[in-house]
Order: sequence, then C-alpha cells, then structure tokens
Amino acid sequence: MRERIIKLATSYPRTIFVVVALLVVGIGSQMARVVVDTDPQNMLPADQAERLFHNQAKKTFQLHDMLVVGVVNDKDPDGVFNPHSLARIHALSRKIAAIDGVIERDLLSPATVDKTTPDGAGTVRFSWLLAEPPKTRAEALRIKADALRLPMLNGSLVTENGQAVAIYVPLSDKKQSHRISQEIKAAVTGLSGAEQYFITGLPVAEDTFGVEMFVQMAISAPMAALVIFIIMWWFFRSLPLITAPMLLSMATVLITMGALIGLGYTVHIMSSMIPIFLMPIAVVNSIHILSEFSDNYAPGKDKREVIRHVMGKLFTPMFYTSLTTIAGFGSLAFAPIPPVKVFGAFVALGVLISFLLSVIFIPAYIVSLSDKTLARLPGSDEEPAEGEEAKGLLARILPKVGGFSVAHSRIVVMALLVISAISAYGISKIVINDNPVLWFKESHEIRIADKVLNQHFAGTYPAYVVLEKTDKDPQQKLAAAVNKALAPKADATAEQRKASQAVLTAYKGFEAASKEKDFGQRINGLIDKVEDATDNADETHEAFWATVTDRLEKAQSAHKYFQSPAALAYIDALQQELGRSKIVGKSNSLVDVVKTLNRDLHDGSAKYYMLPKSSAAVAQSLLTYQSSHRPHDLWHFATPDMRQASVWVQLKSGDNQNMRRVMDRVDAFVAQNPPPAGVSVKWAGMTYLNVIWQDAMVAGMFSSLLGSFGIVLLMMIFLFRSVIFGLLSMIPLSITIAFIYGLIGLMGKDYDMPVAVLSAMTLGLSVDFAIHFLQRSRRLHLELGSWQLALAAMFHGPGRAISRNAIVIAIGFLPLLAAPLVPYNTVGFFMAAIMGISGVVTLMLLPAVMNLIRNKLPALKADSQDHNPNTSPTSRRLAEEEIA
Amino acid sequence: MNFPITPTTTFALALTFALPTFALSTPAQAAPSAQEIIGKANIAAYYQGNDGRAKVRMKIVDAQGRKRLRQFTILRRDIKDGGDQSFLVLFSRPADVKRTVFLVQKKVRGDDDRWMYLPALDLVKRIASSDKRTSFVGSHFFYEDISGRSVHEDNHQLQKTTDTHYVIRSTPKKAGSVEFKYSTAWVDKKNYLPTKIEYVDKSGKLYRRIEALRVKTVQGHATVTKMKASDLKNGGHTITMMKGVKYDLSVPSTVFAERSLRNPPRQWFKKL
Repeated sequence: MRERIIKLATSYPRTIFVVVALLVVGIGSQMARVVVDTDPQNMLPADQAERLFHNQAKKTFQLHDMLVVGVVNDKDPDGVFNPHSLARIHALSRKIAAIDGVIERDLLSPATVDKTTPDGAGTVRFSWLLAEPPKTRAEALRIKADALRLPMLNGSLVTENGQAVAIYVPLSDKKQSHRISQEIKAAVTGLSGAEQYFITGLPVAEDTFGVEMFVQMAISAPMAALVIFIIMWWFFRSLPLITAPMLLSMATVLITMGALIGLGYTVHIMSSMIPIFLMPIAVVNSIHILSEFSDNYAPGKDKREVIRHVMGKLFTPMFYTSLTTIAGFGSLAFAPIPPVKVFGAFVALGVLISFLLSVIFIPAYIVSLSDKTLARLPGSDEEPAEGEEAKGLLARILPKVGGFSVAHSRIVVMALLVISAISAYGISKIVINDNPVLWFKESHEIRIADKVLNQHFAGTYPAYVVLEKTDKDPQQKLAAAVNKALAPKADATAEQRKASQAVLTAYKGFEAASKEKDFGQRINGLIDKVEDATDNADETHEAFWATVTDRLEKAQSAHKYFQSPAALAYIDALQQELGRSKIVGKSNSLVDVVKTLNRDLHDGSAKYYMLPKSSAAVAQSLLTYQSSHRPHDLWHFATPDMRQASVWVQLKSGDNQNMRRVMDRVDAFVAQNPPPAGVSVKWAGMTYLNVIWQDAMVAGMFSSLLGSFGIVLLMMIFLFRSVIFGLLSMIPLSITIAFIYGLIGLMGKDYDMPVAVLSAMTLGLSVDFAIHFLQRSRRLHLELGSWQLALAAMFHGPGRAISRNAIVIAIGFLPLLAAPLVPYNTVGFFMAAIMGISGVVTLMLLPAVMNLIRNKLPALKADSQDHNPNTSPTSRRLAEEEIA
Repeated sequence: MNFPITPTTTFALALTFALPTFALSTPAQAAPSAQEIIGKANIAAYYQGNDGRAKVRMKIVDAQGRKRLRQFTILRRDIKDGGDQSFLVLFSRPADVKRTVFLVQKKVRGDDDRWMYLPALDLVKRIASSDKRTSFVGSHFFYEDISGRSVHEDNHQLQKTTDTHYVIRSTPKKAGSVEFKYSTAWVDKKNYLPTKIEYVDKSGKLYRRIEALRVKTVQGHATVTKMKASDLKNGGHTITMMKGVKYDLSVPSTVFAERSLRNPPRQWFKKL
C-alpha cells in the first residue's frame, strides 16, 4: 500500500494538484459560514444538569446577563454627587436605556430606581431617586443621602464616599455585549467633564474576547506561517522547495477549518487556535522529506527515483509520529467539554490531512519541479554558510551532550529524578482557577474597569443562591382540613348537618372539576367558585362556605412559603454567613426588601430595620412595594407564588477558586443549619457555572490524558515489538508533562482552560522525539552491534534532526506570545517550552537510561526486524552514512 | 361576604379621557372638538353617577404566564363631575392582604391625598408620591389608570373619526413627567367610553395598551366591566373584571375619612 501511494504520488502530479485544489476550494469555502461562540456556558453540554438549572433560574427570576458601567469622579469633593456629574449620569442612563438590546425595564441606574423616604410623621414618600438632574449642591447631596440609606442601592449603585455610581445594564442577549459596550462608549464620548467611565462584567469580557479572538485568528496564524517560512528558508534556501510545505500547511488549515465550520460547529476559543496548532505540526513531515531529498538529490539523478527512495524510508516513522499526534489530540474528543472535543477531533483530523498531503502532495510537487530548479538546490555537501554554522553549532554541542549522558548516566538519571520530585511538589501547588476577565492582559480596559469597579462597589460578578420549597402533597392536606372543618359538631341540628354535607359535596365537585395543576393557582380557582357559591347561598349554607373559604385562604397563605418570617429568617442567616466572606461584597434578597419596607413604613429609624412578625405583614409590605415604578423588581428575588426565592450575591472576584470558596462556605452553613423541611438550596449564575465546567474539565482532561497515555503506550509497544522500548519511549513525555505542570504550580500560574488542554497535546507531540530516537538508535545498534556505539552515533545525524524539529515547532508557536489575549500567550509559551524540554529530556535522559539498562535491553536480531521497513538495506546504508 | 364596590366602573379604563355615557347629548352633526370629546370621555370613564361601587377582580399575568390575583371593593364619590373625587378601596384577596385599605382624595389640580392602612402592621400611613405613573398594586394598570389622568395634563388632538370612534392623540404638556411620548385613544361615538388607548414610548414604539373587553349598561350608564392592560414591550397583562356595579348609592362624604381606614363602614361593603 505504501508503495502504491508513493507510486501514485510521483506518477500523476497534475491530477493530485487538481484534486487538492478542489478540496481546498470546496471545503475551505465553507469557512465563510463561520459562527464565533465565546459563551463559557457552552463548555458544558446543553443538557448538563447545573446548566439547565442555571438557565431555568435565569428565566424564573429574570436574571439577565448584565454589563456594569461605572462612573467615577474623584476630583469633585462631593464625588459624582454634584449637579454636573448627576446630569451626565442622568443623560447617560437615558442613552443606555435607548440602546437596542438593553432591557430598559430592568436597567439599574440612579436615574431609573425608586426611593422610599419617611417624610415627616405618618407619611412615607415613594419617588424616583433621580427623576431630574438636581440644580443645587444641596439637592445633589440629598440624593446621595437618600440612596445610601437604601440597602439595596448602597454598595451596588452608590458608594459611601460618593465617588462612584454604577449602572447595571441588563441584556436581552449577551452575544450583543461587545456591540452594546461600544455604543455605551460612544455615548460616553459625547459627555465632557471630570468623570471617568468604566465598563466591565462577564458578558462583555466574553463577547469582547470573541471579537479579539477573531482578529487573532487573522494575525497569529499568518504570523506562525511567516515564522515557519523564515526557518525553512534558513534550512533550505530554495523558494520553490519551501513553497511546498507552506502550501501544504495552508491546505491543511483551510480544509480542516472548512470541514469544522461546514459541519456546523461554532468556532470557540479552543477551535480558534486550530490553525496555529496545525501550521507547525503540518510542516514537520515535509521538513523530513525535503531534508532527505536535498541530501540525496544531485543533478543528473532521477528525481522520481530519489523521492521514491526517500519516501520509502520515511513513510513509516512519519506514519507513526502522525498517529501518536492524532491519538494525543484525538483523546480530547472524549473529554466532557464540547468545545474541547471539537478542538481535539479537528486537530486530529488536520494531522491526518497533513500526513496524507505529506505523502501524496509533497512528492508530487517535487517531481513536478523542473530539473533546472532542482539543480539549484543546495546539496548536502554545499550548504550555505549560516546553515553550516548552525549545523556546526548543534554538531559541536550534541555529541558532548550525548557523551555526558552516557558517561554520567547515574548523575543524569538522578538529576532528572530530583527534577521530577520538584515537579511533583510543584504539581501539588497547582491552583485550579479561571476567570474570563483574566483572559485579557492587565493593561486591557476591561481588566482596569474590573479592578476599579470592584474597589468601589460590592462586586461586579453575580452569583445566585436559589431556594425552593416543595411540599409533599398540599392537596391532600387541604382536603383533610376542609373535611375536618365541615364535620358536623355534636350538637348540630339536622338542618345544619344537611347543609354542611351539601357544602362539602359541592366543594368536592369544584375540586374534581379543577384543571389547574399548580397548587397555588388551583386554590385561587377554588376560592372563585366558593365565592360565587357563597353569594348565592342562604344564611346556614353561607356559614359553611365561609368555613371552606377560611381553610382555603389558610392553605393559600401557608403555600406562599417565602413570605413567612421563618423562611425569610433562614435566608437572612444565610446572607449573614455570605457577608462574612471577604469575596462577597454584598448579597441582596427579599429579606433586604422587606426589612427596608418595614423600616420606612414605620418611622424610618434603624430599630425597625427587621423582618415583620407575620406572613400577612410581609405580604402587605410587598403590596406597597409593588405600588412603585418598578414592581417587577420583586420577581428577581421571589416567584409570584412565593415558592422560590433567590439571593443575588455580588462577588468582588470572578475567579473560580473564589467562587468555590463561597460555595464551600454556603455548603458548610447548610450542613450546620439544615434548611426547613422541603427547602432546597442551589446555585445559579455565570460565575458559578464557570466553576462547574472547570471541574468537569479538570476531571475530563485527567482521564483523557490517562486514556491517550495508554493508547500511545500500546502503539509504541506495537511499533517496537517490545514492552521495554514501549515504556522507554514514554519516559521523556512523562517527565515533560510532570515538569511543565510542576512549573505551572511553582510559577503560581492558574491551571485554566488552555493549560488543561496542554497535557494531552504534549503527549501526542513529544512522543515523536522518542520514536525517532529509539527507532534510529535501534537501527544503529543493529548496524554497530553495541548500544554504547549506537548511542554515541545517535548524537550526530539523528540527534540533529530531533533538535531541528524541536526548534521548528517551538519557534512556530512563538508568535502566540505577541497576542493581546492571555490564553494565546499561555499556549504559545508552554508549547514552546514543551518542545524544548521534551527535546532535551529525550536527548539526555533516554541515552542515560538505555546505558544503565543496556544489558537488559532485548538483543535485536536481524530477522525480528523483517517487518520493519526502516531496517531495509537502504536504511541500513543510510544509517552508516549518518555515522560517517 | 363579598365586599362589593364600585368605582366608577368605568374607572378602569382610566384613560384620560372619557365621556358621558349616554351619548345622547352629542350633536348628531358636526364632530365635536378634541377637547370636548376628551372631556366627555373623562366623565364617561370616571364620573358615572354621583357615586358608585364595584367588586373588582384583577388577574395579573406576567410574561411567563404566571398568575396572581387581587380582589378589592372600590367605593367612589364624586365631589363634582369632572372634578375632585373620593375613593375607598378595601382589599379582600389574597387572604394575606385582606382588610388592607386605600383612601384617595383625588384632586384634579394638585397632588392627590392618599392614605393606606396595613392591618398586619396596624399602620396607617399617608403616602406621598412624586407622580401617578406607578403600578397599581403590582398590576399592569397605573395608579393614574385607576384614578384618572387629569385632562389638563395633555394637549389633545382629534386624529380622525371612524364610523364608530373618535381617535384622539394626547401629548403630555410636560414631556419629562411621564414615560410616554403620546397616547392614542379610541372613544366610542355612542357613549363616549374610551374602548382602547395605546401608548407610544419616547422612541416612537407602541409599548402599552389598555382596552375595554366588555361594556355593560348599568342603571343607564355604559360601563366597562372587563378590561385589559398589556405590556407590549416586556410581555404580561392584567385583566380586570367588575362585578356588582352599582351607581347612585348616596354614599355620604363622611365615609371617605381617615377613620374608615381601620374600620371600613360595613354598610357600604357588605354583600352586593
């Protein structure tokens, strides 16, 4: 099959070009349909339990995604509470309210909220906080004082020092965040004055990331291409020749991305990095081919013969290294995170495509070059000066490295054991954490806004505690109560007995006829019926109907659970516990609403800032609350049936580890103070969901790492037909992975999404070095008859090849360091480090270990190698050439 | 056991305009001026009879279809047709707000005097409010829809006359004081009842509608007994139904006094 592919490639170059071009155009053109997705929610499967709950809670309580706009004035002694600043805040609020995609009704700004103020004895005043800009300093300060005495506003909308005001902008669709933030910015530009304006919030961070990510796709990938181009020019000095791998990597990227987009997948943060991953990986095989070809070709030789010979020699190692890379990335396809799956699967596909193109397109390309062009190729004997020098550098250093490793095997192994121990310690220090706002560099305006606003306010990161009361069978309880209430008294007259029986029968008829499933609604319907019956009843019956009404109303009031002082007291205690966390700036709930009403309905003094004593008192307070400009605000904290309540927790940090701490605190509280029977306590909110998907990812990455480790190990054992060699080949990558993660732990770099994805990729890429090293050293051992000689010889040709490849890939990833987005930098830095480290470990540790266990290494016999095409006479001859 | 009441039944449509119900007085020919129509509509909607009573049931439905119920009896007495009025509102449902009472002395010029009594807190409070565009007890009706918007606050313009209706556009004189740019009312030519009012916001978008769903003649007065307020922007609506509407009960002015808050006179709130 191998022979046939090579023959095909070299015999019909034109057909191959046409086919490849058609594929590129046909599939690549699908890229036009790109849909970018930066919603971290999509890190979880659509039917994931916590995600479903979060979305349900969002709907139930109308918890929109919000941008936070901060207006700060630290120049004026009164802060923003001066007539000019307030006029601008007022104008800005109006403008924001008019932006398409902003839910005007729920916009929270000093200009859109109500205030309650006790106004003399016996009067309570309800009015807009900032209906119109104040005219005098006194009026402006009055607004500040009025706002600060409202717990709902203090810390959320206004601050004690009066320097800042926040506007919470609810969005109908968070995918509009970036556009809306730009429109707010434009609105701000029109305002003069000493105020500074800041915009932050998870939605804008995510959406802006998406926009900048898209830009990076257009910058980083071509940059990587340029860097690779330069390196190859340095190696080969032939424009026509290096055009081949460039075309190949472009074709690979276009086909892969076209396939991804064409199959309907969105481009997520992970998948936007696919081109950058594929570029360097794709050219590696070509570099092998070009390298061998230019070494072997000389003017006058038949180019077809040479390329067939080169391909014969390289096909299998290329096949295996590609296969392991595919396994490494492919293992990600089994991670529980949909975007990571897509990333893994399509990088794997891209690697496969690049392998196929390498064995088909590259030979076809080379044979189609004219003899004249090929004649100008720098042959192995006449490499240009710089290349010579570089080669010379590697050539000088590598044998010394090899010599050292073999001579001081124990020291090398000991040293690496020590390093591994340190790595293990570093791994134990790893902090699992992520936060979409931290995806931007510290100098980014969103990071700055995040910092400033979280200093001034209670917190720009929302999370919600959702409490729900479920009863076993309220219907049955009610029926029993009605039955009991209508049971005739001992001294009842016959007429009364008859009447009560008639009422009971009629009532049961209503019950049977009711179609409402919801208990609260059902009672409402029953009361309607009972009322009508009462209206038409005579006096005796009316008394019985009144009894029924009484029972129904009691059941109805009891059903409104989160209106009861006991239920509110539990939420109150929970909020106090939340308040003890330094991460929580503040929490808001029905409790705060009710306490404030109670205070202001009395005389406004602090002693009345408490929960009223009865459920009816709560209900009546809330009735007055609803007679405001914003009655709907109540339903952010409770459902209309009062069966669910939510606590808006404002966090000063969106770091997952901080959210996790707050969750632990609540868990501990709930464990020590079990909620009343039938009450559940759960979390919702984006900040919370980020923790959930991160947990899923950490666990998922670990198992996919183990999975791909197992697969690659099996592949290695099969490739080498030897368990020992299989295990040996896994050593460098294991140490590299441990080292990299140890480094992350020691550096204090958070284990976040890009870092998590690195592990499986490392495995697939760095095993390549071990394959080359072991394959070649085995061949040399066969030739030279001794491991010692073989190892020494390794540090000439093969060592150089490994080093060169490590350099190409490492440098190919470096353009990522220039990106303004942190995940890109992370991947760039660590991929370069991984390549460098695994190259070094392979070249130093493998010879040391092999030297130590050389007596236990299986003796290779020529006949055992019959299946291995790499030990054909040709390659044996080439191995000799290498040594020479 | 029900507390009947009656606000002007028609009150419901608080639309600013209203009209005398019996269309009789309308000249058959030349169309009346916008000012005239609105004046009549105001009377028809808010001033039927000298006084009135109705039992009102409000079903509040939010955008998610979740329902809440309010039931109260409303008692109204006109001091002068088209002028000041008194209202007493006694809640009966839900049970937890039973016996909550509102008392309003409506002033056509100047701020209304408002009181409320919260029985569970045993509190009588005077309520001062900056404006009347606040929700009426959490429904989609505004306080002003219930009590009536003063006809002097808007400039009225007759847009067109259809076979059955006068269509009047009312533009607030003080644009900053309200959330709408203008409203359009369809006033029934026969009885001068506004049967539909639509509100357009500052960006020119229709966002709110109040409509009469049922009109009955009670004691000779055309009376809206079912109406609906819809939030067209955010979704949700409130349906108000009136039962036991009765006019000209001769309610004495003394009923509309602060002491009625704690002790609503049973005579006027007993079974309809």
